[in-house]
Amino acid sequence: MTDQQSLPARTLPLILFFLVASFVSNGQEIPSEPAAISAGEALFNNNCRSCHRVHEKLIGPALAGVTERAPSVDWIISFVKNPPAVIASGDEYATALFDQYKPTMMTAFSTFSDEDILNILAYVQAEAAKGPATAEAPAEGQPVSSAGEGVPAAYLNLILIGMVIILVLLLIILVFLISAVKRFLDQKDLTPEQRELVHAPFTLGTILRSRGFIFIVVFVVAALGFKAVINGLYSVGIQQGYAPAQPIAFSHKIHAGQYQIDCNYCHTGVMTSKNANIPSANICMNCHNQIKQGTLTGEAEIAKIVKAYETNTPIEWVRVHNLPDLAYFNHAQHVNVGGIECQTCHGPIETMDVVRQHSLLTMGWCIDCHRQTELNTKGNAYYDRLVELHSKQSKSNMTVMDNGGLECSKCHY
Amino acid sequence: MRVIRSLTVGASLAIALAGCKAGGDNPGLEYAPNMYHSVPYDPLTQITDKDAGWWLTSIDYSDGHAEFYNSNPFNPHAMNMRVPPPNTVKRGHLPYRIPKDSIEFADRLVNPLDSTAAIVAQGKALYMKYCNHCHGPQGKGDGPVADKYAGVANLTSDALKGISEGHIFHVITHGKGLMWAHGSQVSPEDRWKIAKFVKTLK
Repeated sequence: MTDQQSLPARTLPLILFFLVASFVSNGQEIPSEPAAISAGEALFNNNCRSCHRVHEKLIGPALAGVTERAPSVDWIISFVKNPPAVIASGDEYATALFDQYKPTMMTAFSTFSDEDILNILAYVQAEAAKGPATAEAPAEGQPVSSAGEGVPAAYLNLILIGMVIILVLLLIILVFLISAVKRFLDQKDLTPEQRELVHAPFTLGTILRSRGFIFIVVFVVAALGFKAVINGLYSVGIQQGYAPAQPIAFSHKIHAGQYQIDCNYCHTGVMTSKNANIPSANICMNCHNQIKQGTLTGEAEIAKIVKAYETNTPIEWVRVHNLPDLAYFNHAQHVNVGGIECQTCHGPIETMDVVRQHSLLTMGWCIDCHRQTELNTKGNAYYDRLVELHSKQSKSNMTVMDNGGLECSKCHY
Repeated sequence: MRVIRSLTVGASLAIALAGCKAGGDNPGLEYAPNMYHSVPYDPLTQITDKDAGWWLTSIDYSDGHAEFYNSNPFNPHAMNMRVPPPNTVKRGHLPYRIPKDSIEFADRLVNPLDSTAAIVAQGKALYMKYCNHCHGPQGKGDGPVADKYAGVANLTSDALKGISEGHIFHVITHGKGLMWAHGSQVSPEDRWKIAKFVKTLK
């Protein structure tokens, strides 16, 4: 009896196993255990996420519900492994997909095993069941707050208020002192003239007409005027602070600051040429073929660059840094050979919405830097002998000046 | 009275000079304009107004333009720069003739550079300049721009594990899929260096 009972109890799981096994081999079953889902998540993030999301359409379709849409799980597996082949085979669903997303075609993932793809599908199903995320992740690109700079200003106000209070107290003490002295003098025997002097009327008119007051006013006004004239004369020929409006409201703060695009990506000549170069429209289009919505300006400004690209019309940017023609300057020499950061001369460009000339660009400004800056001789065999000769004569490090950086004809010829 | 008159003169002079200071759209007053403005064609400057600087013009130019005019009427858009004529080859450069759609030929190209640590380091520096903002420092396709530009490839993904350096060179040159051509920005030698570095990403 016990044997008869135990037989079905033993065989049932076996039969079930074979049933499941045969089912998997025909139309494969998507696993649901957590290990498969987490393996699928890793695979999805590493391989699929560039083009696919679970809930939103990106480059490729949203993957939620893909198992219901697609003809079969087997079809998905063969498509993922080799999309071009499935499309070329004339498969109806694949051709319709391709027509919808033309000209982009999915990359072939021939290295994936069936299990990998099933794991990915398991992850997609699990994510789809959760539903789209309700709250967006914290807003991207929040401006970095520079709270540190505001603190001293608050202290400054407190200090000023304190000083005003002290001055008012001093004034009150002085008034008391004067009245005390007057009372003291009244007790003495004074001649009528002296008495008149002590009790002289104290009005605004007498102060305004006094010689001392007129002298102070004239002196202050003349000094301020003199300083303004000198400042004005010194600003002649200097374009520091020049920040012209450009034909397209391009923001370095967004591109170089928020999105950390290297200066050299657009200013292609900076390592090899005298000029850093202003990028041509095709470089802008490397991103703006897809990104049409600006962070600050909406669609209007980006539309200008697309139009310039399509009509092959150069954009007439306004030149900000106008070094006089009498002076020679070479970007490659400074940036490539000298290893100087762009910001050393151009200032915090990555924080500027409108580019502003940061430095003086006067000869004195150039010379100062050439006197102070040590020559970048590391790993440059050209300088080896020069450094050797220099160290024989001097104990200080070799500066640009020591290499002829102050010679007139280096920049003026 | 004399004092007041001289103060007024001084003040108006100061106000007038304050206008010389640069700021906003005002470039400020030039000190010696004849020496500031280039007589030869200046590549990144263009002044198309023929009368610009008429007030200090001392040379009789044949077409009657004034001192500051700097523009080449024979070029497209009267620019001082121009695109090299088609089918010309830059000195010291070999043209890359494999067209965009023939990537399977490019797959077989061999990197002319050696795999030294120095070359890979240079490749990394170039990668950080030209590729990092989209493909991310580890090549995972997670650079800051990838938030906005959908479909940035993960260079370490299984599908791209087996690609050759020639393939990478070709894709940088001509672009592929959603990536546009970067051949105009990155020199051929730099592209090979980047290819060397990309193959070290895991």
